[in-house]
Amino acid sequence: MRPTTWLPWAALAVLVVGIVAFLVWPDGGERSVNARTRALAEEIRCPECQGLSAATSSAPTARAIRVDIRDQVEAGRSDAEIRQSMVDRYGESILLKPEGGGIGLLVWGLPVVGLVVGAAGLAFALWRWRAQPARRATDADERLVDAARHE
Amino acid sequence: MRHPLRWAALGVGVLVAVLAVVLALQVGDGERQTQPRSELLGDPAPDFALTTLDGEAVSLASLRGKAVIVNFWNSWCIPCRQEEPALIEFQRRHVAEEDVVLLGIVRDDTEGAAREAVDERGIEWPMAMDTGSRAALDFGTRGQPETFAISPDGVIVGNQIGESSIANLEEMLAAARGQR
Repeated sequence: MRPTTWLPWAALAVLVVGIVAFLVWPDGGERSVNARTRALAEEIRCPECQGLSAATSSAPTARAIRVDIRDQVEAGRSDAEIRQSMVDRYGESILLKPEGGGIGLLVWGLPVVGLVVGAAGLAFALWRWRAQPARRATDADERLVDAARHE
Repeated sequence: MRHPLRWAALGVGVLVAVLAVVLALQVGDGERQTQPRSELLGDPAPDFALTTLDGEAVSLASLRGKAVIVNFWNSWCIPCRQEEPALIEFQRRHVAEEDVVLLGIVRDDTEGAAREAVDERGIEWPMAMDTGSRAALDFGTRGQPETFAISPDGVIVGNQIGESSIANLEEMLAAARGQR
């Protein structure tokens, strides 16, 4: 296979892998109390608002949630423990992001499955397209075109 | 494989059918609720240590052994105001019973506004200030008013999100007393 054939594909693959790695790679280093509090509050739904997170709402419960998250962060609790403390009081619906199990797994997994199936379908279509023999003009075709041009 | 497109279509069809079944099972999982209820029903009530408008310390631990009705309230809240006649009637009926306590908790209000409302509206049950809405958060409240019934051994046995009627309050008291 000539490099001009596979090089663009290899470059595209490297680009896609690089973007995915950048998006999913965990943040390095330890985050500050403020950053963790903010990030967790953004994942928690304000219980008395419509569609706002505890980070963005000024409702009393949202303020109390932010204070509670900060207290828990300072007490050394993990993000998962803090999320669970909210779920214990309000149920799963308090989380703006679905959890990684049960129906949440479906919500997270479906886009990935869709992406993989779509990519496989595209690759299959491209393969079939390339596998088709190139069409060449027959002598009869050439004569027909010549005749048309000289009319 | 002679007909790959047919196999692909069949695969997609099977996948959609499986997803539909899974979603239907998830949606139908658990008790259907026409009204939201606290996640804490059946759990030990979170303890609190608050100070009433009269300056007295009140904690859930200090009320152990009694049926406790806790009402989260604010002076500025219209549904709270609409609920007040039921609470006043409930307090009138049970004020003489030593095993029953009605406790108001001010979720998010100034002490001055709460005190003025209590004086003006004939509220005679103890009203405690919840500074920072800490108790409101621990009880998992979703607004105001919200009422909880706590059994003498400290378990949440009843909950009303929004305005309570006298019938709601009596029902919750019966639950707290283990009569339901």
